[in-house]
Amino acid sequence: MRKTLIVAQSEFATLVRSEAFIVSVILMPVVMASSFLLVRATKDTTDYKDRTFAFVDYSGVIAEPLKAVSDMYNSSTGQGAGPLVRKGARFIPTEVKPDGRSPDQLRLELSERIRRQELFAFVEFPKEVVDPASGAAIKYYSDHPSYSALPQWLRATVNAIVLNERFRQASVDRALVVKLTKPAPIEELGLVERARTGELKEAQQVDAARAYGIPVAVLMLMYITVMSSAPQLLNSVIEEKMSRISEVLIASITPFQLMMGKLMGGVGVSTLLAAIYISGALAVAQYWGGYASAVTPAILLWFFLFLVMSIFMFGSLFVAIGAACNDLKDSQSMMTPVMVIVMLPMFTWASVLRAPDGTMATVLSLIPTAAPFLMMLRISLQPGPPPWQIAASVLVMATTVVVIVWAAGKIFRTGLLMQGKSATVGEMLRWVREK
Amino acid sequence: MPDAIALRGVTKRFNGTVAVDNLSLAVPAGSIYGFIGPNGSGKTTTLRMIMHILLPDCGEIEVLGSSDTRAARDRVSYLPEERGLYKKMTIRRLLRYYARLKGGTRAQIDVAIEEWMQRMELPGLLDRHVETLSKGMSQKVQFVAAVVSNPRLLILDEPFSGLDPVNAQVLKDAVLEIRRRGATVVFSTHDMSTAEKMCDRIFMIFRGRKVLDGSLESIQDQYGADTVRVRTSQGVAALSGMPDVESVNDFGQMQEVRLKGDPQGFLARLTERGAVYHFEVTRPSLQDIFVRIARPDTHA
Repeated sequence: MRKTLIVAQSEFATLVRSEAFIVSVILMPVVMASSFLLVRATKDTTDYKDRTFAFVDYSGVIAEPLKAVSDMYNSSTGQGAGPLVRKGARFIPTEVKPDGRSPDQLRLELSERIRRQELFAFVEFPKEVVDPASGAAIKYYSDHPSYSALPQWLRATVNAIVLNERFRQASVDRALVVKLTKPAPIEELGLVERARTGELKEAQQVDAARAYGIPVAVLMLMYITVMSSAPQLLNSVIEEKMSRISEVLIASITPFQLMMGKLMGGVGVSTLLAAIYISGALAVAQYWGGYASAVTPAILLWFFLFLVMSIFMFGSLFVAIGAACNDLKDSQSMMTPVMVIVMLPMFTWASVLRAPDGTMATVLSLIPTAAPFLMMLRISLQPGPPPWQIAASVLVMATTVVVIVWAAGKIFRTGLLMQGKSATVGEMLRWVREK
Repeated sequence: MPDAIALRGVTKRFNGTVAVDNLSLAVPAGSIYGFIGPNGSGKTTTLRMIMHILLPDCGEIEVLGSSDTRAARDRVSYLPEERGLYKKMTIRRLLRYYARLKGGTRAQIDVAIEEWMQRMELPGLLDRHVETLSKGMSQKVQFVAAVVSNPRLLILDEPFSGLDPVNAQVLKDAVLEIRRRGATVVFSTHDMSTAEKMCDRIFMIFRGRKVLDGSLESIQDQYGADTVRVRTSQGVAALSGMPDVESVNDFGQMQEVRLKGDPQGFLARLTERGAVYHFEVTRPSLQDIFVRIARPDTHA
């Protein structure tokens, strides 16, 4: 055990001094925060190019209100919200009269104008658009199918105009209808509880940041920490193998002690990284809304337990691959299946978030390779999974860790001294079966 | 004196190929023991088995009195042929790490590191990173890493290869110092003159089998005094076509000749061909013996 701890200590010291760790600690949060701020800052303000569009109003009731609405929209200062508040480009309508031209001829002419870049798009308002029974659709033509701001704006404004016209034709007061059809709001609350003093504590309103934001942040933190720490073990093993350091080490300790030392060093690095991230994240969460209390000691406890088991599980796989490969290039292709296994939970967490007590969430969070991510997500979501499910996932994962560490130890023992070529999967399986 | 290493009937195969075949040998404690043999003959495999890096398929290995080679690890140090150093580490951290794996307190280790760095003529380098060292310096640092734990048995795989004469001398002195302190030193080498000059006993392995084992004298005795060293006015040309010459090792200015017959008769015939400046009846060198074993066809 003493030698294992010496290896762990050395591994820890080497990893925390590595550029990868410094990048993880400093650069990654900076990049993530910068990206977030950049996305927020540029969300509505990147597009200031005028979009001139033509429209043909066969209904005869949309043209004038549309011009009035676009004037209001284009002269908006951008404050507030709604279809009359401009956040980006100006939408400039140009009415085109048929003047005896057939619809097809007109469409062709307008399409040509778009191709010549005189127009950005054109819209047809059919004659029957006001008649709800007709089912007639407004047609939007453009050669920029990915640009959605203009069709979205048209959908909102033209529909409001059409509805107004329908109410007017039916001699119904639209303001009254809007007032009478106003939906009754639903307020989402937690549960009422009795305080120690005997008083009833009112239920708290559900806060999306607390209900979803924190659990997702916990999941992402687990993912980032595992992905930052476990693959580094592979690099460490390959370096030792390629420069024959492993031969010197194995003359002093057993391969299993060496592997366990590496894994323990990896656990040390990952817990340090997680502790730094969590401290920073809690400080930020507290500053921006007092959310730090949402991360309970129990959540932290489970987080570190799952993190430690993850590093042992995924770290063993990476260590085994490192020992079986002859160089970094070979290891990249071997790593792919393991990376896919690590990434799989990231494709399914959204459905777990929607129904954390559903069958799918339960089953997925009991799969050992997904448990550290998905069970951790479920634990962070209120009210959390039943204790037996947490216990079951810990048990399944712990058993898997023991099996994988044992198998990786066998691959590590043989692979570490094999030089000249990388092992095949078949060879690795044979090493595992060997006594 | 008990043996530091004893191998009894040791065999090791790799994928059906026999690397070491029924090998038995005994390395006396306190001796300098040389392992020689052509490339791929099983030297490194044998050393690795002694170090418990590899396990024999059959046979027994006893190291420092223990048949569990793993148990003796802390008293045995190993310098592999290809040097294993962490490039990004400082020398101090690297030496401390390797030494701590063998045991000992931090204070003892630091004193030993200072002493050996001085002895190896590497003063003031402890805080330099390994990647900044020259090849010779790296090799000496690797040697320090092997001896700093004060091993009772030191196993060196090709310790002198690639060293310039000055550094080779420093390393030879260090090896002798280790032996003076009572340790046993086993090293493999392709440099026969080093083996001749330094080793108390020499062991040669060829195709996995032991072919020589003993002191230089006893080995040479096996081959008799059938060798002469000559220097003539005509060089190697003076030897062509002579019926009693079995083989010639031409050094340019001097030739080492293995004879089938009587040296005096050979000298008489040689003087008939020209001036003879030097004629020395000697026993075959280790180099010659090595070549006779490893390339018997060219010396037949």
